[in-house]
Amino acid sequence: MNAECGHPAPAASLADAVFAELAHALARLAETGEETVIDLRSLPFGPTDLEALAEKLGDGEVTCALEVAGRSEVRETGFAGVWWVRHFGAGDEIAAEEVHVTRIPEILVSHPDDVAFAARRIADAVAASPQNEPTAADEEDMSRG
Amino acid sequence: MADQKTLGERLAEHGVSRRAFVKYASWLGSLMALPPATSRAMAAELAKAKRQSVIWLSFQECTGCTESITRSKGPTLEDLIFDFISLDYHHTLQAASGEAIEAARHAAMAENKGKYVVVVDGSVPMKDGGIYSTTAGHSNYDTLMETVKDAFAVISVGTCAAFGGIPKANPNPTGAVSIGDLVKDKPVINIPGCPPIPEAMTGTVAYLLSFGKVPELDHLGRPKAFFGENIHDRCYRRPFYERGQFAHAFDDQGARDGWCLYELGCKGPITYNACATMKWNGGVSFPIQSGHGCLGCSEPDFWDKGGFYVPLSGSIGPTAKLVGGAALAGAVAGVAAAAVARHRKASLNKG
Repeated sequence: MNAECGHPAPAASLADAVFAELAHALARLAETGEETVIDLRSLPFGPTDLEALAEKLGDGEVTCALEVAGRSEVRETGFAGVWWVRHFGAGDEIAAEEVHVTRIPEILVSHPDDVAFAARRIADAVAASPQNEPTAADEEDMSRG
Repeated sequence: MADQKTLGERLAEHGVSRRAFVKYASWLGSLMALPPATSRAMAAELAKAKRQSVIWLSFQECTGCTESITRSKGPTLEDLIFDFISLDYHHTLQAASGEAIEAARHAAMAENKGKYVVVVDGSVPMKDGGIYSTTAGHSNYDTLMETVKDAFAVISVGTCAAFGGIPKANPNPTGAVSIGDLVKDKPVINIPGCPPIPEAMTGTVAYLLSFGKVPELDHLGRPKAFFGENIHDRCYRRPFYERGQFAHAFDDQGARDGWCLYELGCKGPITYNACATMKWNGGVSFPIQSGHGCLGCSEPDFWDKGGFYVPLSGSIGPTAKLVGGAALAGAVAGVAAAAVARHRKASLNKG
């Protein structure tokens, strides 16, 4: 882009380095299914670096808002399989920020234990529902056939 | 108290899914610089864990450490730790008192033998038979030794428990010693600070709970995840230090421009803590950002290092073990403090 005006290309930023790392990670996911997580808080990013990385990754089709021990946001980037995950803590400050290279981030998947617990709850709710008690009207309906 | 439900089951009953563990482990893993695979394992282990029995002993202390750990803004990520532990004894927070609460401590020790964690804030007075601090008719020393006997690990919270702290400051009238000076047959984890950063306390407890082992510690028994970095190295004012731009008074132009506070006695260069990166009050600020030098409160004998406002090059004096040297350091500190005060007064008059 700078070639036209004769300027040298700018020095590679941390955003470029992470972008390149994500390219390798996404190739691994495509070929072997191996997942990768990059903790953005562990890298010495400046605010402009994070914006630059977000711009390179772009926006995808999926944005999820979670309300679990405070707010979380999960967003698929313009590259399928690359997800931007932000967890908010006290004062709605960002407590954790990660890029996940995966088909679906773990936090979106219902845990088997939660599913089992929910299955028991819904079965109890069905059993407790008044509609399951035979009423006079039900019996009349049945007798009519 | 004893509770056979897992943490996952407990949270589910309150309408919170296992996602909370994934989120908590992501946050803690990031704070402790754990590899992502370890964070994932932590989430799974936490969900399966039972509530951790914690017995909290308060000795010669000011309760600032409890203030720090309980001070947060509502039901948030950081508060989940209070769902993960069963705080079976804590002078400030317990509702029961007298014999009933001492019985509760003994019951928690018996039911969780070998598994409970003892958190201690405050130092232990050893002079004159330990009479300077007692609870329920027992000296702090007797209570400590009885309670840690069957503990899994001991966490010394705050600089008083970790290194003796302010009660141990010269001339140490009560013969105060640290917990590590007394407990030799259990792992003792030091979380110093006056007070410590809440995340360093809760993170260490969550790590113990998830992995059943003590995190990696430095030579002073502090978890490297929180105390591995130097305040000065991670300070946002470090570039001013490199350029030789120093504030010389708290109200000079350098101070107004946010220059390095080294010459005003900042102890950042010799202090290992996470203030510069994690900050305080949900990441709002930390002392240097508020315009005051670091006091070095997570280091042993920070109170006796020759004065908070004396530059490091002139302030690292010997402590209690060398009385003459300490007196000299104290005198130097006094002179320097007076000089700073004069300077400040002069500046005020000018301003």
